[in-house]
Amino acid sequence: MQFRRIVFRLQGAEGMMLDTICQYLCGSFLWFWMKWFLRQITGKCELQRICQGYEPGAARTTRIENSLKSSKNKVLQDAVNVKEDAVEGCVTQIVKEKGIKEQKDPKFKVNLHKCLIQISGYNTLFTTVEELRKEVFDSENEEHEKLLLKLWDLLMPAVKLESRITKHWGSIGFQGDDPKTDFRGMGLLGLVNLVFFSENYTKAARHVLSHANHPSLGYSYAIVGINLTEMAYSLLRSGALKPHFYNTVAGKPHIHHFHLFYCYLAYEFDKFWVEEKPASIMEFNIYREKFHDKVKGFLLEPDVSLILKIDSKNFPDD
Amino acid sequence: MGLLTILKKLKHKEREMRLLMLGLDNAGKTTILKKFNGEDVSTISPTLGFNIKTLEHRGFKLNIWDVGGQKSLRSYWRNYFESTDGLVWVVDSADRLRLEDCRKELSALLLEERLAGATLLVFANKQDLPGALSKDAIREVLALDEIKTHHWCIVGCSAMTGENLLTGVDWLLDDIAARIYTAD
Repeated sequence: MQFRRIVFRLQGAEGMMLDTICQYLCGSFLWFWMKWFLRQITGKCELQRICQGYEPGAARTTRIENSLKSSKNKVLQDAVNVKEDAVEGCVTQIVKEKGIKEQKDPKFKVNLHKCLIQISGYNTLFTTVEELRKEVFDSENEEHEKLLLKLWDLLMPAVKLESRITKHWGSIGFQGDDPKTDFRGMGLLGLVNLVFFSENYTKAARHVLSHANHPSLGYSYAIVGINLTEMAYSLLRSGALKPHFYNTVAGKPHIHHFHLFYCYLAYEFDKFWVEEKPASIMEFNIYREKFHDKVKGFLLEPDVSLILKIDSKNFPDD
Repeated sequence: MGLLTILKKLKHKEREMRLLMLGLDNAGKTTILKKFNGEDVSTISPTLGFNIKTLEHRGFKLNIWDVGGQKSLRSYWRNYFESTDGLVWVVDSADRLRLEDCRKELSALLLEERLAGATLLVFANKQDLPGALSKDAIREVLALDEIKTHHWCIVGCSAMTGENLLTGVDWLLDDIAARIYTAD
């Protein structure tokens, strides 16, 4: 017998306690009938029991998402792919499908609505991020060029660039004389992330850059940044970032929430690198993987919230 | 199938080769490695340090080392020379401005004692780009015909489409195998 649905549930209302016990006692084969049985004795469907039994955030939204996905009902299955503007109608439809009496559980609709906004928001966020990644950095595009020069000014305010193509780009960690080739796989997303970190956490970014330019422990600031954009992007794409966004953004996540997560990675990776003291930059991929595993570990915790917390003693103005 | 054939096959399976892939930054080394291994090549970021992949091809176990090409990393290349059977030099055929730089780096590598026995495969990559020079033009700019110290071959390819990657690697394996295993 397959115990697919065994989940530790440490909190929740009585209905959820019953769910937990029943899930222990039976595998997925019997689960359908158990749900029917629970429905008869509690008078509530699984979605209602989840909304009542768990706090808002990943604890609730992830369970709602899993419950919808494994439902045999087409309306419920499709709800995980609902678009934001159709959430309202989707909630009404679910209430109707499941025969839920609104008077008996007045909060249900609001709670389910919030969960679906988070679920659809995550999907929309990926589409937005993917579009930005696919936008190729183009030297002919004035906006792109401005952004690149802005990055320089934010990080190196005391040094003026002599020309657009110069070996000076190396001092903020690009590979060659023209940074444009470094944006290959991550496109404009890589540049926007770098600029966002430098603009919103200027002192922290410069502090990180000073570590990156350390004679023995140094690394290429911009290239590492682009590698971290790739890390953030792949975590988003795989769905691993769901609990983080469900916990930290009550409504629909926007692209700046993604950039904020990048800032967390950029700052924390630097700290990790400095602490680990690798023998040389050639070991970057080993430490990148170690750091990646660490972040993936955090993301498995239900109350995960990977928000950059900067020590105010170091950066009083940020 | 006789016992001898089976034994030969088994022995064949154990054959390992060490390939070292070098070239300037943005030449397409990691993309070649990933494409050859059947992975997604659309989200590659610049390589810091190195990547290593072990894969089986035609009964050979290939250990492919892909080392970052940016200027500050080139002094580390020498750490990867030891026991290299094949050197894969990757060229961005569309990057005309840096071909001279590319030629200098390659000719310096060919003077390295620890690479003396290695077969050289030059990939004239990015043939899919409109401004790319042909493999013959690259051959001329890099002065490949002057190389007398190594077995070499140039193949025009595209890591994005995968075109000719197999042709190049197969030539490399044949040349190395003929050199190393003819004594068997």
